[in-house]
Amino acid sequence: MASIEVRDASITFTATQSRHSSFKEYVVRGLFRRSRNPQVAIHALTDVNLLASEGDRIGIIGHNGAGKTTMLKLLAGIYTPTQGDCKVTGQVCSLFDISIGFENEATGWENIVYRSYLQGESPTSLSGKMEEIAAFSELGEFIDLPVKTYSAGMRMRLAFAIATATRPEVLLVDEVLAVGDKAFQIKAKARMQAMMNSSSVMVVVSHDLSTVKDTCNRVLWMKKGRVVADGLPTEVLAAYNREVSGEGETVGCDAKAA
Amino acid sequence: MIQHVNAVWKFRHFLMALVKLDLRQRYRRSVLGIGWSLLNPIAMTIVFTLVFSNLLGSGDPISYAASVLTGFAIWGFIRDSTLTGCRCFQTNEAYIRQSPIPYTVYTLRTALGQAIHSLIALGVVVAMVAVYQADASVVLRVGLMLPGLVLVFLAAWAACTIAAFVTVFFHDTQHLLEVTAQILFFLTPIMYPRELLDAKQMGWIVDANPVYWLLELTRGPLLTGQVPAMGMYLAGASITAVLLGLAFGTVVWLQKRVIFQL
Repeated sequence: MASIEVRDASITFTATQSRHSSFKEYVVRGLFRRSRNPQVAIHALTDVNLLASEGDRIGIIGHNGAGKTTMLKLLAGIYTPTQGDCKVTGQVCSLFDISIGFENEATGWENIVYRSYLQGESPTSLSGKMEEIAAFSELGEFIDLPVKTYSAGMRMRLAFAIATATRPEVLLVDEVLAVGDKAFQIKAKARMQAMMNSSSVMVVVSHDLSTVKDTCNRVLWMKKGRVVADGLPTEVLAAYNREVSGEGETVGCDAKAA
Repeated sequence: MIQHVNAVWKFRHFLMALVKLDLRQRYRRSVLGIGWSLLNPIAMTIVFTLVFSNLLGSGDPISYAASVLTGFAIWGFIRDSTLTGCRCFQTNEAYIRQSPIPYTVYTLRTALGQAIHSLIALGVVVAMVAVYQADASVVLRVGLMLPGLVLVFLAAWAACTIAAFVTVFFHDTQHLLEVTAQILFFLTPIMYPRELLDAKQMGWIVDANPVYWLLELTRGPLLTGQVPAMGMYLAGASITAVLLGLAFGTVVWLQKRVIFQL
């Protein structure tokens, strides 16, 4: 039974303004003067609550930097809350940052293996899927070549094919559908739709409000790391639209993913 | 802790696939493959043997060479695991940003790759000693080395893990470790027997050096065929336990914060 339980979760971290710090700087700072590389506290999420269970299709909306992607990464377990709790049960599939992290020297086939193992596949469960993944990526003979020879679009296609070869219970999506050319986009969209239908809980971050309206039965509106509204799509989207148009902006075109 | 080990076990296929890839890349880069990568320790050993075997050794060049090459293999393993460990999280950053798997999987990737590389060099020493002493039973000494090798591996993995975490917060860690390694190399009885220092009442330098104890647990049995004294094992095990404890503490302390600093 898949579920999401986030209770009063906050994520705060410190960042230095310029580059990384070093031992040398640490010693110099300690001995002689105040830092020229001050630490800044960043409140990425503040007191976020989210309870979701079977059948929830949640869309997260908000401006860039509102904490939408951070929220997804929290749910994926990549970030751990600095305060509060986050518990996600069920097999999770996260569709974000998928085009990074190929072993450049290894072939397409080998990268399918690495990625799939990383997603929790075993040699036996994977053996049946390899061909299907390769076919879906439409890479042809390129699949036998090292990934360093691929174009950005080809990498994206391969990444998408691998990431979506599972049947997850919890699906986390960050507006990734800019995959490859037009023909592939249609295919990708269809597969995405199938995954969305078969997963039991879905969370999607999107700026395309009409997609959110069509696919979600619940919408979270985030602002500066807080959830400011959580409810039915029609209500939350209407409120969001009111605020956005109040600022003299048109809806649905505020740039790409946060 | 059990939970952590279970989590690492769950991703063993991922780990082993990447270790295999690393080794293949390391050995494919050259026509000579494995032989090429052994060139450095073997060339160093030959030079050292030519120059120092009379000066520092007992005058028997082959046993001096065997001792030096074993020393290089073990020392090189510990040093390289720690130094490459510094870049470990940067190398694996993309995976870290995608999947919540234990960070120690990545440091294991580094340590295992280095271990296999060093075992090849050790294999050369075993063959060399066996041929020289015209005694095939030398191969059985490998069994005596096993406890030592396990301790060395765990210690190196722990050092690798600590280095990986610290580097994320202090980016000049690798540079400092390189300097430390250079100093430690001369303080460790690799190119000279410890008796030379003992004779000058400087044996304490060796006793205080953790690398010496780990080295002796593997080099001793291979060269002499004798089981190390219980005290040696105790010392080696204590050093490894302390390092593992430190590594575990580091992981617990920093694992939630690393992602924000990468």
